[in-house]
Amino acid sequence: MKINLRKLSLQGKMSSIYILANLLVFVVTLILLSGINSMSHDMDMVYQDNLHLNELSAALTDVQDSMTDYLNAKTSDSLEEFYRNEQTYSQMVLELNDDITGTSFGRMERSIKHMSEKYLDIVGQTIEAKRGRNVEKYRVRYESATQMYDYINTYIYSLNNEQFKNNSENYSELSKAFRSFETVSMLVLFIVIVGNVWVIVKLTGTIISPLKDLAASANEVAKGNFDTELIEVQAEDEIGVVTGAFNQMVISIRQYIERIRQSMETERAMKEKELMMEAHLKDAKLKYLQAQINPHFLFNTLNAGAQLAMMEGADKTYEYVQNMAEFFRYNVKKGDETVTIREEMELVDNYIYILNVRFSGDIHYEKKVDKSILNVEMPSMILQPIVENCVNHGIRELAGNGKIKLSAYRMDDVVCISIKDNGIGMSRETIEQVMNGTYRDKGLSAGSNGIGMDNVIARLKLFSERDDVMTIISEGENQGTEVIIYLQMKEREEEDV
Amino acid sequence: MKKTQLKKSSNAWVIVTTFSLVLITITVGVFAFRFYLNGFKEVKDDNTYEQYYVMITEERKSSFWQSVYRGAYERGLEENVYVDMLGDNLSQEYSRENLMRIAISSAVDGIIVAADESDEMTQLINEAASEGIPVVTLYGDNTHSNRCSFVGVGNYNLGREYGRQVLKIADEKRDKQSVKVAVLVNAYALDSGQNIFCSGIQDAIDQEKSEKFEIEISLISVDDTNAFSVEESIRDIFMEEELPDIIVCLNELNTTCVYQAVVDYNKVGQIAILGYFDSDTIINAIDRNVINATISIDTGQMGRFCVDALTEYYEFGNTSQYFTADVTLIDKSNVSDYLEGGDVNEN
Repeated sequence: MKINLRKLSLQGKMSSIYILANLLVFVVTLILLSGINSMSHDMDMVYQDNLHLNELSAALTDVQDSMTDYLNAKTSDSLEEFYRNEQTYSQMVLELNDDITGTSFGRMERSIKHMSEKYLDIVGQTIEAKRGRNVEKYRVRYESATQMYDYINTYIYSLNNEQFKNNSENYSELSKAFRSFETVSMLVLFIVIVGNVWVIVKLTGTIISPLKDLAASANEVAKGNFDTELIEVQAEDEIGVVTGAFNQMVISIRQYIERIRQSMETERAMKEKELMMEAHLKDAKLKYLQAQINPHFLFNTLNAGAQLAMMEGADKTYEYVQNMAEFFRYNVKKGDETVTIREEMELVDNYIYILNVRFSGDIHYEKKVDKSILNVEMPSMILQPIVENCVNHGIRELAGNGKIKLSAYRMDDVVCISIKDNGIGMSRETIEQVMNGTYRDKGLSAGSNGIGMDNVIARLKLFSERDDVMTIISEGENQGTEVIIYLQMKEREEEDV
Repeated sequence: MKKTQLKKSSNAWVIVTTFSLVLITITVGVFAFRFYLNGFKEVKDDNTYEQYYVMITEERKSSFWQSVYRGAYERGLEENVYVDMLGDNLSQEYSRENLMRIAISSAVDGIIVAADESDEMTQLINEAASEGIPVVTLYGDNTHSNRCSFVGVGNYNLGREYGRQVLKIADEKRDKQSVKVAVLVNAYALDSGQNIFCSGIQDAIDQEKSEKFEIEISLISVDDTNAFSVEESIRDIFMEEELPDIIVCLNELNTTCVYQAVVDYNKVGQIAILGYFDSDTIINAIDRNVINATISIDTGQMGRFCVDALTEYYEFGNTSQYFTADVTLIDKSNVSDYLEGGDVNEN
C-alpha cells in the first residue's frame, strides 16, 4: 500500500486524494440518505396498523352484510359473495397475532382473532341452517353472530383508537426526531467537509513539500552555492524524477568544477617548473662562468703581469695588462652597485682600449662628455654592454671603419648618454623587440660578459622608477644605430674618499 | 533526512487518524441515532405470556376493584400469566354478561368474575366451563354454577362485626329508646353475600342485645340498575321524614354517597355511618368523625387468591371452593395507621 502510494504519479496522487475525499462525502451522504429513507419509511409505517385494522373492519362488515343479504334473499349471487368475503376475512384473521403480549394491542389482537374465528364458525352455521331452511336455528345463530359482530367491531374500533393515539404520539416523536436528524445530518456533513478540507490541505502539502525543497535548493544553486545539501527523493513521482535529475546535475557540476580546478593547478605547477628550470639554467650558467674565471685570481695575476711588464720596460704591455686588470676589477667590484657616470665611462674606455689592442685599432672611438655630469649616479654595467652590442652587432663587419661616438650631455633635469655607431643598423621590428625585452640573441657571444639588452633596460627602469629610460634610433640598414639613455640628475655626494 | 522522514510518517499518521475519527464519528452518530429512534419505538412491554386471564367487574375504576386487580395482576406476572381487566380498553361499556360472552369467545385461559346469583350469569359460567375455561367468582358468588372457586370476604363474620359496631353505636345513643338501623342493599341483589351479611348483623344484635333499647333493622334497597341511580336513591333516603340512626353500607360507592349526603344534609353526628372499604375519602371521613367505622378488605390478597385458584386449577385440575380475604375494622382508634401511608392494603 505504502510502496504503491510512493510509486504513484503526481496526477495519480492528486486524483486519488480528490477521489478519496469525494468518496468519503459520498459514503456519508449515502449513510445519511439511508437514515432519512428508513425514517421516512418508519413514518409511513406509523399508521400502517390503523390501515390494516380498517381493512379488517371493512372485511368483517362485508361478511356480515353478505350474510344478511343471503338470509334476506337467499340468492346464489349473495352466497357467492359471502363465501368470497368469508375467505378474505378468514385469511386476514389468520394473519393476526395469537400471542399474549404485555401490550394491550397484542392482547386485543389475540381476542379479535379468537372472536373472529368463533364468529366465522357461527356465521357458517347460520348459512348452513338457512340452506337447510331451519328457521328457528338460523334466527338464533344470526342473532348470536350479530352480537359477535358487534363485539368484534367494538374491539377493532377500540384497538384502532388506541393505536391511533399511540401512533400519533409516535408520529410526532418521529417527526421531532426527523427534524433533529436533519440537524445532526447537517452537523455530520459539516464535520466531514471540514475534515475533508483539512485532509486535502495536509495531503497536497505532503505532495508539494518536496517541490518546495527543490525550489529552495535550486535557488541556492542559482546563487552559486554548489555545496547545498542534496534533496532526499521521497517519492517516485514526477517531482521525484526532477529531484533526482537536479541532484545529479548538482553532483555533475561539482565534479566538473573539481576537474577544472585540478587541471588549472597542474598547469600552474608546470609553468612554475618551467620558470624554475629557466632560473636554474641561468644560475648554472652563471656558476659555470664564475667557475671558469675567478675574477680575483684573474685580477691578481693580471696585476702581477703588469708589474712584470713594467720591470721589463714593456710599457705597452704594461698598459694593456693594466687596462685588462682595471676592466676585470670593475666587473668584480661593481657587479651590482650604483656607480657614477665617470666610472662607467672609464670602463668603456678600458673596454675600447682592450678591443683596439685585440683588433689592432679597428674602432674609432670618440668621446664628448659634459664634465659637470660625471658625478651623476647610474646603475653599473650599463654602458659597457651597450658598447659591446655596438661592437658585436654594429661595426664588427666594417673592418676598420667602425666608429663609436659616446656623448653625455644634460637636458634640463635629465642626463642623456648617447652611444652611436655607424654599423649595420637595426630594423624597426628588432628595435621594438629589444625594447619589449622579447628579443632573444642567438647564443651568447663568446667574450661578452653575458649581460643582455633586456637586462640593461630592466635595471635602468628599476633604477629610474619610470618607463622612459632608453631610445634606440636607427635610420635603416647600414645607417648606424644610436642608443640614448636617460638618467635622472642625481649626483653622488661624497666622491671616492 | 531522518527529520523529514519523521515528519512524513507523522503526517501520514495524522491523516489516518483524521479519517478514522471522521468515520468513527459518523458510525457512532448513526448508531446512536438508530438506538435513540428504537428507544421510543419499543418502550412498551413486549413480553409474551403463557396464559391470559380476564377479570370482569362492574365499576372497574373504583379504587376497590383497581386494588383487587392490581393484586391479581402482580401475582399473574409472577406466574407468567397476564391478567386483564376486561373492558378497560373498549370504546363501549358492556355489561358483565356481555363481557363474559366476549371473554368466552376470545378463548381466554381463565375468567375472574364478580358474579351474582342471576340465571344468566349461571348460564354464562357454565358455558365458559363447557368451553374449558375455568371461572372464579370474586366477591359475589354464583353458587349454582360450575365455577371452580369463590374468592370473597367472610360475609357472615363481617356481618357480626358490623352488628357489634351497631350495638356500640346504639349504646352511645342512650337517649333513644329504639335505634333504627338501615342496611343499604342493592335492589337487584341476587347476591347471596348480602343476605349472609345481613343475617350476620342480625345474629350479632340478637345475641348481645340489651334490654335497654330496641334495635330495628331495615333493608333499604338502592337502585343500581343504571348509572347514577345509586346516588339518586341514596338521596331519596334523606328526603324521608324518619331518618335512620345508623346506615350500614355494603360497598364503596354507597359509602361515599351516604357520606356526601350526610354532609350535604347537615346530619353529621346524627346519623352514624358504617362504611365499606378503605378508600382515601372514607379514611378521611373517619378521621373527621363523619363515618364511624369501615372495614378494610385485603384487596391485594383477594386478587392474588383469584390467580392462585386458577393456577391451582390448571396444575391439579381442582382447587379449593372458597377463599376468604382478610378483613380489618377501621375506626377512630386506628384510622391514623391508614391515614399516613394511604391504602396500606394495596401493598
